[in-house]
Amino acid sequence: MPLNDDDFMRYSRHLLMDDIGESGQEKLINSRILIVGLGGLGCPVSTYLAGAGVGFLALCDPDRVDKTNLQRQVLFRSEDCGEFKVSCAKDRLKALNDSVNIEIYPRAVDTEILNYHYDLIIDCTDNLPARHVLNKQCSENKIPFVSAAAVGWEGQLIGFDFNNYSSPCFNCVINGQLQDPVMNCSNSGVVGPVLGVIGSLQATIAIRMLLGYFQQHGEMQRYDGKRGQWLTMTSMRDKACMVCSHEL
Amino acid sequence: MVKVLFFGRLGDFSENIELKVNCTEIEATPKKIRSLLSEDNVNLGKQLAAAQVLVAVNKVIVGWDYPINDGDELAFLPPVTGG
Repeated sequence: MPLNDDDFMRYSRHLLMDDIGESGQEKLINSRILIVGLGGLGCPVSTYLAGAGVGFLALCDPDRVDKTNLQRQVLFRSEDCGEFKVSCAKDRLKALNDSVNIEIYPRAVDTEILNYHYDLIIDCTDNLPARHVLNKQCSENKIPFVSAAAVGWEGQLIGFDFNNYSSPCFNCVINGQLQDPVMNCSNSGVVGPVLGVIGSLQATIAIRMLLGYFQQHGEMQRYDGKRGQWLTMTSMRDKACMVCSHEL
Repeated sequence: MVKVLFFGRLGDFSENIELKVNCTEIEATPKKIRSLLSEDNVNLGKQLAAAQVLVAVNKVIVGWDYPINDGDELAFLPPVTGG
């Protein structure tokens, strides 16, 4: 779809960049992304991707806005309490960029949602079982996958370009057979801007993947906001991985 | 000698240290180093034994039985799952 006059104005700061330009912006406009989870990570992720002009966003989250969300989930307002997060998010994102098509699913992610075509799936969930479901879907269907998590002062980020690599996958790094850790934002707390940092990086990786600039398949980044430290690590294929070992 | 890094909230339980061990002699692995550390610091030991703690050797995420050599850097990372 060629850019129109409004697009040239709206996306001018992308168009000024040689490594995005018109062709890059057209790629973004023609892309379809599923964002699972509209909490502390999903809010910045969806905001930046809608602003960037990603043409289709599917938003999936069963939760309603609660007062305890407002400290960090920056798309929502006090008057949204009790409403579905995905409905409020759609309103705010459409107000930001009406040209983005937004589909909302006020329920947990399921096979029907996953079976639509996406160029990328972004994990903004708050639990490991959901991350493993998304990883399996992306690994088996060669869909690029960006996963992130945060709790307390800490954030975690990892991207998998399953278009070009079959392994490692999320399950190679964090084994789905092991017990789910008991710490999460609800019972252990989280610093709002840490989610903003990690969510913004998720959106950045998503744009890099869509434009063909992502080369760090399986690289994990950890952020410790309390000490201002980052750690970047590579991951290895688990030969016994239940998800991706059969791909080799 | 192994440089041991405790990332994130694990740093609340111990400073980063240089552990004076002969890796070849003790056939060092992350699991073995965790046991040694837990003998001296019970609270740290409990944290390192929690589900989904990750370990990285020389900035590569590895399993708990991965062989560690003298001069390696071993990092322990607490689980992060919220969002």
